[in-house]
Amino acid sequence: MATDIKTAADHGAQLKALLAQQGILIAFIVFTIGFAFSSDRFMSADNLMTVLRQAAIIGTIAVGVTVVVIGGNLDLSVGSLLSFATVLVVDLHDKIGPAPAMLVMFVATMGIGAITGFLVGYLRLNSLIVTLGMLSAIQGIVLIYTGGQNVDIREQDGTWFAVFGRGYVFGIATPIVIFLGLAILMEIVLRRTSYGRKVFAVGGNPTAAVFSGINRSRMVFTTYLISAFAVGCAAVIMGSRVMGSQNNVGQGYELLVLAGVILGGTSLLGGSGSVLKTVLGVLILAIIQNALILMGYPYYTQWLVTWVVIILAVWLDVASKRGRLFTTFN
Amino acid sequence: MRGLMTATAIVALLPAAALAQSVTIGITQNNVGVDSYQTTYEQAFMAYAEELDGVETVVLDAGGDVARQIGQIQDLIQQQVDAIIIWPTQGQAVVPAVRQAHMAGIPVVITNSQIAEEGFEFIASFSGPDNITQGQYSAEMMCEALDGEGQIVQISGQPGYTTAMERQSGFEERLAEACPGVEIMETQPGDWNRERAQRVMENFLTKYDQIDGVYSGDDNMGVGALNAAKAAGRAEGIAFIGATNFAVGYEAMERGEYWGSVYQSPVEDARNALDTALAVIRGEDVPFLNYFDTPKITQANMSEYTKPVF
Repeated sequence: MATDIKTAADHGAQLKALLAQQGILIAFIVFTIGFAFSSDRFMSADNLMTVLRQAAIIGTIAVGVTVVVIGGNLDLSVGSLLSFATVLVVDLHDKIGPAPAMLVMFVATMGIGAITGFLVGYLRLNSLIVTLGMLSAIQGIVLIYTGGQNVDIREQDGTWFAVFGRGYVFGIATPIVIFLGLAILMEIVLRRTSYGRKVFAVGGNPTAAVFSGINRSRMVFTTYLISAFAVGCAAVIMGSRVMGSQNNVGQGYELLVLAGVILGGTSLLGGSGSVLKTVLGVLILAIIQNALILMGYPYYTQWLVTWVVIILAVWLDVASKRGRLFTTFN
Repeated sequence: MRGLMTATAIVALLPAAALAQSVTIGITQNNVGVDSYQTTYEQAFMAYAEELDGVETVVLDAGGDVARQIGQIQDLIQQQVDAIIIWPTQGQAVVPAVRQAHMAGIPVVITNSQIAEEGFEFIASFSGPDNITQGQYSAEMMCEALDGEGQIVQISGQPGYTTAMERQSGFEERLAEACPGVEIMETQPGDWNRERAQRVMENFLTKYDQIDGVYSGDDNMGVGALNAAKAAGRAEGIAFIGATNFAVGYEAMERGEYWGSVYQSPVEDARNALDTALAVIRGEDVPFLNYFDTPKITQANMSEYTKPVF
């Protein structure tokens, strides 16, 4: 009898632990099933591919930002950086050819990432201030570069550059392959390499990390390089998909990206988190957006719904750690 | 001797120059640099002012910020310019500043995008495109493209933006009256953004098995919709109609992928605004709604028009 009770309690504790650890996965499944009943179109293979493809740009960036956040910092410059990188790669495509255009774009984009990384890592400036400043500075650079004009790729059908945004690899749309490929790669780097362990250490307990001989400045610096590289990948998808770019194409992306990261349970304080859970967070947001449109609501209703979902996610996260739903200050 | 002659010549010229009345016109624009249309407009405006004798300009840009625009209008009143041209960032909020200019005796010309109706008594004229007529033209082209029968979707401009609302209402009203056989299944905003329009169209393609036509509030979004349809292999059966013909729309028309649009030149827009302001200063009779011509452009007649520069 006593044994039975103990087992039931064990089950309860296990369930609680599962909820706390895999809450995002459970939420993902609940949303998917819920929307499947809301619209008969939702579960079609075509539509699920569309959702994944639409999530790929934000998701690719979110993979990089997750690494920055685990390292204990923020990156709000990614939206502007996406505008910069997309405008650059599209504009240079017709001038110097696709491969050199991509090379120049990656160098320039990661160069900007290096500046951000230097300011936050080596000068120890607050990342919120630095990247918020970069957000408007980079937008300014884009406008100076283009003089406000849209840029376009003229010969859309004749360029192999089309493969990144419009092509398929083994029947799967290339943007999805890039997004998930980068996510899996980064998850392995974070979990299985000493570099990854150092990122967690620097974000979780900077003082202890420094005492154990980790070069904190260099680690922070490199997380911004990774973030900029991810933005470059996203720009290739974006430029190839649209075959053109507006100056403000990435405007507001930093918040959508951060929403995906937070929803995935990565702590904004640094030191814990997971790229694969960020993927789920981004997919939940994409699913919400897609389902709302299939149900006939204008897309901006998602802004409200997204906010509610994030608040719920953060609240449940905090509640599961405290062991109760409501807490008051004494 | 030679020096003396030159000096005499200069002296002789001086009174003539002083006599040619010089006027100063101030302009505060909406958000230059955010899109190609507004950028080209500003360049054309300054080039045209340069061309005209005796016209000085003060060119300002509000950067999309209505508070900054109100400040700029007040600055122009302080500078006592002869006329103020305003490209409203927001039709309602600028009205008090427009009233101030009117009270100070400075005529105001609104350009491109109309202000709220309660401001009408304070302005001398509106110069710009007739967006309701543009919407009607697009409806007529859609009707022709589909032979009066079919199911279409609409991708509108930025919610709350007068141009977007006027084109949408012009399109919907004309379509209902001239073409009852064509049904608008759904409308979603595309925010004047090609990538967003592309995403909206991808969702439409998933949702509807049969789409015969797409009306987009401008060609930038229209080309995004075309991208999505081509990716899904369904572009062949769809008539794409836009507005504000962009270079990319023009090229898609050349390739036979895009049915038609409305030709609206930012150069015409800018010149019309400056001409209207000058006519107002000279005290000439100017129509209250001083539209410039924005004709239909289709695959059939596109050779009559040069490719847009934006």
